[in-house]
Amino acid sequence: MPSLREVQDGFLNHLMDGDRSRAADWIMADGLTPAGRMQIYRNNLFTSLCDALAAVYPVVQRLVGVDFFRQTARAYVGQHPSRSGNLHDFGEAFALFLDQQSFTQTLSYLPDVARLEWAWHESYHAAEGGPLDLSTLAAVPVEAYESIRFMLAPSARLVDSAYPVLRIWQVNQQDYSGDPEVSLDQEPSRLLILRQGKQVLLQELDQGTFVWLQALADGQPLGASLVRAVAAQPDFDFHTVLHKHVHQGTLTEIQT
Amino acid sequence: MPTVGQNGLIDPIPARAGIGLRGPHYEALLERRPNTGWLEAHSENFFGQGGAPHQYLEALRAEYPLSLHGVGLSLGSVDELDPRHLHRLDDLVRRYQPGLLSEHLSWSSAGGIHSNDLLPLPYTEEALAHFAGRVRQVQDRLGRRILVENPSSYLRYRHSTIDEWEFLVAVAELSDCGLLLDINNVYVSAVNHGYDALNYLASIPADRVGEIHLAGHAANRCGDRTILIDDHGGPVAEPVWALFKHALARFSNIPTLIEWDSNIPTLDLLLNEADKAQRFMERADAIAA
Repeated sequence: MPSLREVQDGFLNHLMDGDRSRAADWIMADGLTPAGRMQIYRNNLFTSLCDALAAVYPVVQRLVGVDFFRQTARAYVGQHPSRSGNLHDFGEAFALFLDQQSFTQTLSYLPDVARLEWAWHESYHAAEGGPLDLSTLAAVPVEAYESIRFMLAPSARLVDSAYPVLRIWQVNQQDYSGDPEVSLDQEPSRLLILRQGKQVLLQELDQGTFVWLQALADGQPLGASLVRAVAAQPDFDFHTVLHKHVHQGTLTEIQT
Repeated sequence: MPTVGQNGLIDPIPARAGIGLRGPHYEALLERRPNTGWLEAHSENFFGQGGAPHQYLEALRAEYPLSLHGVGLSLGSVDELDPRHLHRLDDLVRRYQPGLLSEHLSWSSAGGIHSNDLLPLPYTEEALAHFAGRVRQVQDRLGRRILVENPSSYLRYRHSTIDEWEFLVAVAELSDCGLLLDINNVYVSAVNHGYDALNYLASIPADRVGEIHLAGHAANRCGDRTILIDDHGGPVAEPVWALFKHALARFSNIPTLIEWDSNIPTLDLLLNEADKAQRFMERADAIAA
């Protein structure tokens, strides 16, 4: 009699690889074949994981079409099986996977669209961040300003791309009814993804702001982050940018 | 800060019909506040730390008794219980204080890889000892009793030595958990494996049952056999209503849930299905009185 561990290992191998070497021997045929019965579970697994991927990557699915998406998602499930009982965790490596597929040589913006959709998904489920209390800043002596650290909201994500991925994302929303043309010659995208209330907001940033927020996200203190921002964009207007990102909740905490 | 019902206490789940809480109905439920007995959410749908799902659940929790139903803990796996999963479940239970908390008589993962499905266990002494131990482990960790739901299944193992209903009852006795009796699953498995659904119900001790589930299923042709698939994708089938009627004669005053997870209907259609269950329950009470 196989042990419970042998049953589960064999069953899962059969589900993932179609490896019939073991599991089929333990299953009653009962009017079908053991493999036919396993096929029901195999279909369930691939269907539910492909559905989960489609729920996180609706724009990628729309760009490549449902049939091609299913085929691609199936290959992804095979190479990057689910490692969590929580389906929200599934699909993180999809952008990387797309990058390695030969068809993205012609659809070169697709991995970046996937990165944007994963960032959206993470932002949607991230913890709430409180509003930044600027009075903490008032307590900091001016000479210590350069060493304070601004923390980004838990829902803040930064995505950059050589392609106009925001425009691609927008024209592929279900309720979009404007001009569907996207010129790939448009400016590269530097995006902030941030949740406000229930809504996930996608915002185009100028280069200085993107570099500054990226430096903060990397844990850089204010002084070093500003050096990077000004190097990227000499006319970087710190006071306006700070005001905006405190006001809209991009920044939620100051560590002194 | 824990979120609790309007009265500030843990609302017990009433012995009424309730509905499964699904994303497409969040807005309509909050706007209309329909008269349904209670809501049941899938625990994992609220494993994120914030955002819209929790904002909706907070608001709905203030209006309705809430039950949490897990689909991903994988109680039956030989793999260690995932500490992240348990941690997130514990947070959720503390935050929302659900009236009932349930998991499945099944397994999902092996070697760290998850099927994200409810896979059947061999019903052996080894599996029984393992499963009962896992239920105890979870109950100890969460500091409360859970309900374990009978699965629907599409295969049986040659080496099973215990009938499913006996296995379920033994799990309840060994771990002192309650049972969630899914009438549709009893029917689906009884048809798929050719056993007697009434005998299944008759084997379950009434005092162990804390909740009943009803759902739709699909019929698939496999060669010259019809296999029923538990897809929760339509109304409750007539034979399942008939079996529910039998169940009500045995298990009275049990909260009953309508689950509808694929081809999700309008809220009205879902509420109609719950009203139908409620009428069955009231007729059964009238007969018993």
